[in-house]
Amino acid sequence: MIQLPPPPPAIEAPAPIPEAPLSEAVAAAEARPTPTIAADLTQTEVEVDSTYAGARMVLYGAVFNPTGRPTDVVVVVTGPPQPIRLVRKHRVAGLWLNSRPVVFEGAPGFYMAASTRPLGDITGFTTRRRLTLGVDHLRIEAPAERRVVTQYGVRDVVVSRLGDEYLDWRRAVIGLKTEAGLYAEDPGGVRFVDRGLFRAEVTLPSSAPTGRYEAQVWLFQDGEPVSVRTRSLVVRKVGVERALYTFAHQRPWTYGVLAVLIAMLTGLLASRFFRRN
Amino acid sequence: MDIYLPIAEVSVNAPLLVLLGAAVGFISGLFGIGGGFLMAPILVFLGIPPAVAVSSQASHVVASSTSSVMAYSRQKAVDYRMGGVMAVGGALGAFVGVELFRWMRLLGQADLVVAVSYLLFLGVIGALMLRESLTAILRRRSGLPQARPARRRPMWLYGLPWRMRFPRSGLYVSAIPPLGLGVFAGILSAIMGVGGGFILVPAMLYVLRMRAAVVVGTSLFQIIVTTAATTILQAGRNQTVDVVLSGLLLFGGVVGAQYGARASTRIRADELRAILALIVLMVGVYMGLTLFVRPENPFALAPGAG
Repeated sequence: MIQLPPPPPAIEAPAPIPEAPLSEAVAAAEARPTPTIAADLTQTEVEVDSTYAGARMVLYGAVFNPTGRPTDVVVVVTGPPQPIRLVRKHRVAGLWLNSRPVVFEGAPGFYMAASTRPLGDITGFTTRRRLTLGVDHLRIEAPAERRVVTQYGVRDVVVSRLGDEYLDWRRAVIGLKTEAGLYAEDPGGVRFVDRGLFRAEVTLPSSAPTGRYEAQVWLFQDGEPVSVRTRSLVVRKVGVERALYTFAHQRPWTYGVLAVLIAMLTGLLASRFFRRN
Repeated sequence: MDIYLPIAEVSVNAPLLVLLGAAVGFISGLFGIGGGFLMAPILVFLGIPPAVAVSSQASHVVASSTSSVMAYSRQKAVDYRMGGVMAVGGALGAFVGVELFRWMRLLGQADLVVAVSYLLFLGVIGALMLRESLTAILRRRSGLPQARPARRRPMWLYGLPWRMRFPRSGLYVSAIPPLGLGVFAGILSAIMGVGGGFILVPAMLYVLRMRAAVVVGTSLFQIIVTTAATTILQAGRNQTVDVVLSGLLLFGGVVGAQYGARASTRIRADELRAILALIVLMVGVYMGLTLFVRPENPFALAPGAG
């Protein structure tokens, strides 16, 4: 589970600290004004119909920064999880053959991280891992390959059957998804268009899965997350696309018979039509 | 004009698919074959998931074969009895093939099976056909008489039980060899998305030695039944039939098939076979190359989940 800091109110007036006793001054200093963020998407529902060829939307927002110290914005859009089966080609007797498939779980069907600067410059490794910022920190695992062994006298050590190659496999998952336009990391993707006002573009390819997407907008200051906003986005099939998909999955046999009947009818009609000409 | 395919879940160019259907339909009408062996690799090349490509184009084969069988039936060139026996085998084979394909997909070996089947069957058939047609062309050019095919049938055709009369084919043989041929074509249909005409036609000509006039019509009739069974089974078991995709393909396909059938009368039979042999050989080698060429990326997504 991702540990999120509690979301602060959207707009927070600087706490007043007029002539207070010492103890109160300390408490006020603790609650000193922190920068906050607000964000939204131009589109919260993407309808997949027969003309669907992917979608493009803008995530925009504002940063309220009373402190004057520089801040950074990181936008992470995550799609519904989609297990991945991967094979590796090996050369066996001059032929390139597939290995046994390895199933990776926890991989989102879509992932995009856009930021104002390279993620490594914004915050440290631990935070990036904890908040899954960047494709390298996605929680992708191959649970079926896990084994619990005793290593160097230590019991219950979890190792992967893939051994040293594990990282290659993991990197391949990300590489293939990136190639398909489903994973992206853009260190300049969040741009400030005006004082405190930023925007980032989200591009969904037509192969992006349907389902519920989540956009997290993080505000960082001095390497620490200080504010977060979460927005959701739903991609769903509508109209004919939805009807056909549901039909094919709920009544697969009827669907198959109908597909054949349509094909035969088309063939018959064509032969009739051409004989007359 | 792009269109989103509901089952394949990709967006493709609709006019391009109609044109592709028409081109393959033209070839199919020209040579009297289903044309599936050509369609599946092109669809995969266009970015359609292989499982969806194989299943959806089976219904394209149903349409173009139906349209051709009607024409052959009018010329009394279909042996329904022989076709029926082979179709029973075909439906059986399709069932086995769909289950086999499902299992191979789970093992991640579907690519391998498809590549090997293409290389083996198309390579061998293409090479044999090319040799035969080139010999015929050379003989005709040099004015030699054509070699007469031996009329003797293999003896084992008569040694097997369950003999049946097939008057239109001029045969009185055991039902086992046609049934076996049907099973074989059915398995290929499920794995390669083809009708199996390129295997059936030579087998019917050279093994069963049926009357040549009824061979193409009968093979097309059995192809309808086999690919119809494949389509229903793939839809029922794997949900991989995309009707929008097959609709686009068969719309172009049936038109192309009619023009192909007309064009076939203008080209000499042996030259026609030589061209077909070259196409078959090229597709076989192209598909087989994946086995020998070092892949750019050693990792690949295996279909079957997600």
